[in-house]
Amino acid sequence: MANSRNKNINAKLVLLGDVGAGKSSLVLRFVKGQFVDFQESTIGAAFFSQTLAVNDATIKFEIWDTAGQERYHSLAPMYYRGAAAAVVVYDTTNQASFACAKKWVTELQEQGNTNIVMALAGNKSDLLDSRKVTAEEAQVYAQENGLFFMETSAKTAQNVNEIFHEIAKRLPRAQPPQNPSGMVLMERPPVNGTSSSCCS
Amino acid sequence: MHEADIHDLSDDADYAASQQQGSRSISRCGSDKRSEPSGAEVVFLKENVAIHPTQYASERIRGRLRLIKQGACLFMTWIPYKEIGSGGGAFGHSDARLSDKDRNLYSIRAVPVTDIRSIRRHNPTLGWQYVIVVLSSGLAFPPLYFYNGGVREFLATLKQHAVLVRSADDANLFLLNDFQDPLQRSLSSLELPRAVSVAPTSTSESSSSSSVSSERPEDGRSYSEYQKHGQKSNDPARDLSIQVLEKFSLVTKFARETTSHIFREIHSDNLNTNDRKNQAPIVSNSNNDVDNSGLESASTESFVAADPIEKPSCRKDISAVKKLPLQWGVLSLFIFDKMTLVWGKPRQSPLGTEEWVTFLDAEGRILDSKDLRKRIFYGGVEHQLRKEIWKILLGYHDYDSTYAEREYLSSMKKVEYKALKRQWKSISVAQAKKFTKFRERKALIDKDVVRTDRSITFYDGDDNPNVMLLRDVLLTYSFYNFDLGYCQGMSDLLSPILFVMEDESEAFWCFVALMERLGPNFNRDQSGMHSQLFALSMLLELLDKPLHNYFKQKDCLNYFFCFRWVLIQFKREFHYEQIMRMWEVVWTHYLSEHLHLYACVAILKKHRKKIMGEEMDFDTLLKFINDLSGHIDLDAILRDAEALCVCAGENGAALIPPGTPPSLPLESNLLYSQQDEL
Ligand SMILES: Nc1nc2c(ncn2[C@@H]2O[C@H](COP(=O)(O)OP(=O)(O)OP(=O)(O)O)[C@@H](O)[C@H]2O)c(=O)[nH]1
Ligand SMILES: [Mg+2]
Repeated sequence: MANSRNKNINAKLVLLGDVGAGKSSLVLRFVKGQFVDFQESTIGAAFFSQTLAVNDATIKFEIWDTAGQERYHSLAPMYYRGAAAAVVVYDTTNQASFACAKKWVTELQEQGNTNIVMALAGNKSDLLDSRKVTAEEAQVYAQENGLFFMETSAKTAQNVNEIFHEIAKRLPRAQPPQNPSGMVLMERPPVNGTSSSCCS
Repeated sequence: MHEADIHDLSDDADYAASQQQGSRSISRCGSDKRSEPSGAEVVFLKENVAIHPTQYASERIRGRLRLIKQGACLFMTWIPYKEIGSGGGAFGHSDARLSDKDRNLYSIRAVPVTDIRSIRRHNPTLGWQYVIVVLSSGLAFPPLYFYNGGVREFLATLKQHAVLVRSADDANLFLLNDFQDPLQRSLSSLELPRAVSVAPTSTSESSSSSSVSSERPEDGRSYSEYQKHGQKSNDPARDLSIQVLEKFSLVTKFARETTSHIFREIHSDNLNTNDRKNQAPIVSNSNNDVDNSGLESASTESFVAADPIEKPSCRKDISAVKKLPLQWGVLSLFIFDKMTLVWGKPRQSPLGTEEWVTFLDAEGRILDSKDLRKRIFYGGVEHQLRKEIWKILLGYHDYDSTYAEREYLSSMKKVEYKALKRQWKSISVAQAKKFTKFRERKALIDKDVVRTDRSITFYDGDDNPNVMLLRDVLLTYSFYNFDLGYCQGMSDLLSPILFVMEDESEAFWCFVALMERLGPNFNRDQSGMHSQLFALSMLLELLDKPLHNYFKQKDCLNYFFCFRWVLIQFKREFHYEQIMRMWEVVWTHYLSEHLHLYACVAILKKHRKKIMGEEMDFDTLLKFINDLSGHIDLDAILRDAEALCVCAGENGAALIPPGTPPSLPLESNLLYSQQDEL
């Protein structure tokens, strides 16, 4: 897949995070420049692609937007397996969604690609009045865990392109072949202990 | 399925028996020995041999199968029993709903055995043994089920009186009137039958031997009529076509008259283009229809394998078919094209009030639930009737309940609903603080209801009370069925129901009824989804092997790209009015409980060319499929799904494991779920 002749890089990116954190909204903003007030919940998963030019290279993001509900957690490995990048999204107005984000980070650290580029997105930054998670709190967590962090708003588009750009810059230039075996749904999804069960 | 494990013939009791009894000399029609005086002799008789025109047990037709010897000629007859009271046989209790016309349609009146090309024996592990008889004309009779056994005797008797040999390639296939050593033929020596890939150029007056019509000659008709059929040249296409034709014998009654017509045409095409060597091989560099923009130059590998069911652009696709195993092959390509002309009945207008009352007796009972379901299957219902009819379709109200009973039940249920709702309404703030599960559920439901169908007037705007109702019903349900709880997707399922019912309690109980069937979709272990996607993969393999193989090659066999379709029964794929139509059609369970899976197959087939032509992978496929939302022609898909369902017939039904949602769960489900690998 990765064809580095002209530094054309295909990068698989997965969005993870609590129900309603704004994963789909972020992708829609990034890919289509749109925002919908009542974005439907994601059933199963959705796939998008978007190309970015960064310095000397063109990066084509192949974006997997997943469903947030814990009930569908067992399907997530199918999507993050082989991902070069992940955006873990929480809702700045919802403390539980931040806890959920941390669990996703842990899971990715344990089971994701070793070189995965991880971003933490504190979304809905436009809702100043109802903020529950401070930027400082999230920044500290991100630093401790080697991710980079931005507060975003899919609604106002604040930091949306930026976060994807930042990921693009951080991607290792020589991509290992990605996800060569495609999607294989496991017969028996691994039972993730209750520890990883977050987000109601 | 029927790919031959090449059995040693000797280990087969049926065959051994037939060998023994068949060692006597053989007399055939064409040979003019009149070994017996004229006057018919019944050499084989079996009661309770039935055909199953549809999957419904009530429509099975029992009858009497006979082999009758008249002179040197052997005839096969199968005559359905008459109805009770009109002098039927000992088993004269076949279904009264079948008209005489139906009966006549299926009667097999004196088919000369020399006209039979093959008989395949099926030994399902569950159910009755049956045989499929294919005539040399190409017409296949529906499967004959031997309720009282006797397949072996039947074959043995045939063997005794006619040339019956077992196919070298398939231990369950018996060829009649095949005068060549079967062992000399093998599948590898077969060319594809070019003849059938040629579009029906003219309605050419074909030779008389193709004149098989759906009307069988009457008993006692001079058999000299049949003599010209006598010897068939050994047709290389034969084994292939036998398989295909057999599959077609599974078609049900409304297609049957047409099929015989179609087979007739095919047969004449066969004869007319016998000289296949003179025809140039069908070349494949004209695959115009395939959008091959993404493909490298026309390497044969890039051809889209032909749809065995869809239109024949078969000239182009034939080369691709060649690479496929010889089954379900080219013949069907052609046949099905014809069939789609008649299949998938035109959709009817929705059931209206005037017609609706004709389905009811004076007290409101539905006289014939099947009739009603059929009617709705073909046209849906007008919106103002949905409130009443959905309750019945969903199983909240019984078909044979009266108006009064329904009203009574509704009022009782209203009380019950209130009690259920109080269970969470009465949770105080303090209690909620110590009740994480409740808080989480409520939060999740709150998040979802505000983004469910907000573009519909019924749910739009700020502080819309209907959104609150949606929430209350879902929260109550998560207490009613605490183990299952709330799961994303449920709000999609409830939304149209609440919209139709316009009543909280009624919507709740309808939703409960729906979840009886769809609840397993939301199982934590995904078992309900797994079994449906598995069934889908089996169905697609049956109905479009090339496409199935394509998915296999692309590692997409989990059919996960259909997850959304299946989980919420296409809710996200259609506009509101259309999804209500689709659901009421699906809920009739008229042809199958799993019409939605056939609809999946229908949609995939519709886009097969694009999918394979563009070499879609799992990701592009998922995107493509998600993007189809809002662009699917409901009526066309329902027609196709119907046709596919009919076409797959019992074979299709057999591929869907019992208990697969939306079938009601098996009681032993829990026991099985441990070992079940699906
Ligand atoms: N004010 C505001 N609302 C947002 C923002 N992003 C998303 N939303 C809203 O939050 C709700 C959930 O957004 P989604 O994008 O569907 O969330 P999701 O993470 O994809 O949720 P699931 O698909 O259920 O996992 C929607 O009603 C959005 O309109 C944002 O930046 N600001
Ligand atoms: Mg989403």
